[in-house]
Amino acid sequence: MAESIYRALRDGALEGELAPALTIKDSVASPFALQVFSHVISQLFSSILAGKSQSRGLVVVSFSRSPSFYLDLLKNKGTDVASSNKQIQILDCYSDPLGWKDQLAGSRNFTALSNEAMVSSNAIVFREVKHMDKLYNSIIELGKDQISSIFWLLHSDLHEARVTAVLEYLSSIVASLEPSHQLANGQRGDLENFSLIKHNSKKGKFHVRFKKRNGRVRVMSEEVHIEQSGINFASLPSEGAINQGLVPKVQFSLQLSEKERIDKANVVLPFEHQGNGKPIQIYDGRRSLVDSKHERPVSAVENVQTNENCGSGEIIYYRDSDDEMPDSDEDPDDDLDI
Amino acid sequence: MAAAKTRTSTFSRNLSTAPPSHGPGLKCGPNGTVFLSSGIPDLDKILGGGFPLGSLVMVMEDAEAPHHMLLLRNFMAQGLVLGQHLLYSSPARDPRGFLGTLPSPAASKDDKSRERDPDQEKGLRIAWQYKKYFGENQLDGQRDGKHEYSNEFDLRKPLERHFINGPRIDCVSIQDSDLSTLRDRCATFLSQFPRNDGSISCAGRIAIQSFCAPQCAYSNMEWDMLSFIRSLKSMVRSSNSVAIVTFPPSLLSPSFCKRWQHMADTLLSVKAIQDEDKELAQLLTGYQDMVGFLNVHKVARINTQVPVILEATTFSIKLQKRRYLVLECLNQAPVDGSSGTSYGTSGGCSSSSKTGNLDF
Repeated sequence: MAESIYRALRDGALEGELAPALTIKDSVASPFALQVFSHVISQLFSSILAGKSQSRGLVVVSFSRSPSFYLDLLKNKGTDVASSNKQIQILDCYSDPLGWKDQLAGSRNFTALSNEAMVSSNAIVFREVKHMDKLYNSIIELGKDQISSIFWLLHSDLHEARVTAVLEYLSSIVASLEPSHQLANGQRGDLENFSLIKHNSKKGKFHVRFKKRNGRVRVMSEEVHIEQSGINFASLPSEGAINQGLVPKVQFSLQLSEKERIDKANVVLPFEHQGNGKPIQIYDGRRSLVDSKHERPVSAVENVQTNENCGSGEIIYYRDSDDEMPDSDEDPDDDLDI
Repeated sequence: MAAAKTRTSTFSRNLSTAPPSHGPGLKCGPNGTVFLSSGIPDLDKILGGGFPLGSLVMVMEDAEAPHHMLLLRNFMAQGLVLGQHLLYSSPARDPRGFLGTLPSPAASKDDKSRERDPDQEKGLRIAWQYKKYFGENQLDGQRDGKHEYSNEFDLRKPLERHFINGPRIDCVSIQDSDLSTLRDRCATFLSQFPRNDGSISCAGRIAIQSFCAPQCAYSNMEWDMLSFIRSLKSMVRSSNSVAIVTFPPSLLSPSFCKRWQHMADTLLSVKAIQDEDKELAQLLTGYQDMVGFLNVHKVARINTQVPVILEATTFSIKLQKRRYLVLECLNQAPVDGSSGTSYGTSGGCSSSSKTGNLDF
């Protein structure tokens, strides 16, 4: 399923349609979005180098990690970064996003620290993150051509609900990370929850919603394991949760509550031969029910029999005649004379 | 709506003047309301005739599916085909591009049903004492009048160019403009259809798509958007037109979402369907053909105090033969899995296409 995300981004935009946009979001309970993001970047970049994807270059805008992080990441995955200068460009919004170093250089007591050696010509430092127009323009300049696909990483705790909603509205694929086990609210220090927290630090659930062209939403889930070497996706053990939110309100309730289920099981259905070997007895509405506590195998095929009053269900029937033997062949309609 | 009609009951209305005749695409309804079609015949039936003139229709979008575009397309195409004026605004840079996706009216399917009816009338005579009361409404509206009021649209056939290039269409992009510009454009558009007591020569339609979309510069200004909607509602109320506004409710704060819903005269919402959902497939018939759900939350009642209570408020949106938009009541799947009836066919007893239109 992470495969399908990768394929959607790799194949890019079709003629006349918008480019696929992916949101990867996480929260404090399951903070693995960066690993997923790195995984997607490395897969995409290797396909760009191999020429398999629609896009020919990658522009990375880094806010929370330095450019060297991404270059090392790609190097570790085995891709040859040095020779691929033109294919990856990094807009460095990490080193000095608000242009403070220039401002501080003017003051007296500031001794300029030697800059970290520029890793490569790939990274361009951007100093005016406050000006969204300039940021946008720099990204477009680096990209040069049309955009084939775009994806971003979002920590949902750090933004207002509206911002997350807007980004989900704009994206065509939404991938979210959730903890495998939900913790009880505000009880982080509790001993019971401690093992859960330990669990949650190593694995989580990865839910993806694809917005398809025909208007349907494809929902997929996988389990995610974080290891030293990176991130592993595995299919979820089937839990069979009914997606209640999508079942619309119909005029009648379609589910049975537990009590209703028990009552339904308790209703004795009227069959003449219940196969128990007990003698067939037909209740004719006159005898009392006192001595007939347990189920009686009674009733003909089309006759409905009185039922025990075990729950609230009752089937009441008075037989037409006592003479009638059970399972007789006579057709009651025979004596109708039209 | 001829003035001379046979007396069907002992009461006869004291009509001193003949009822005004209206232009094409307009239908008179009870309580002096005049309807115009939504472009989807099933939806017109659900709403009791169509959208009443002077009402504001709001559609709550689902961020995950573009079904509101289906509703808008049918609405706009219906207006153009009947010669009504249209004002369309969207957050795209070039709203005219959307006009190219409007559907064309479907080839008339009435020929088939017309052939069937005479045969039935020959073989079966139903002696039903109430037939005389329903006869006039059903028979008139069925055939000839139908195409003057509403059409079924074939979503695969684009609308002919001459409809789109006419002078009756105006497009506004709300991406860069602000709300006062949009309000002025709406005001000039609506001034062409003032409401007075005479007959209505032409009606107007306003379609505003994704009103609070994040691309719009004003999308943060919730109070301003609310006051725009309120002024639009009052302008529309005093003119012979209908306005549809679609918006994604997830992008608004909850209190504003509720306020916007209260502003609407008719409130609809669309919802996406999960793909390959086994539980839903078992629960509902025809799940494979369903594209989404449509919920009717509020139906406009302008000249009366009596509310509309619908039998069902959730309908499934299906594309028949991938061309025609139909709305169906949700049906729980029976054992054999036959599909449900369209809302348009009368009577709940017929569920297969073999039985004809027996009106009970």
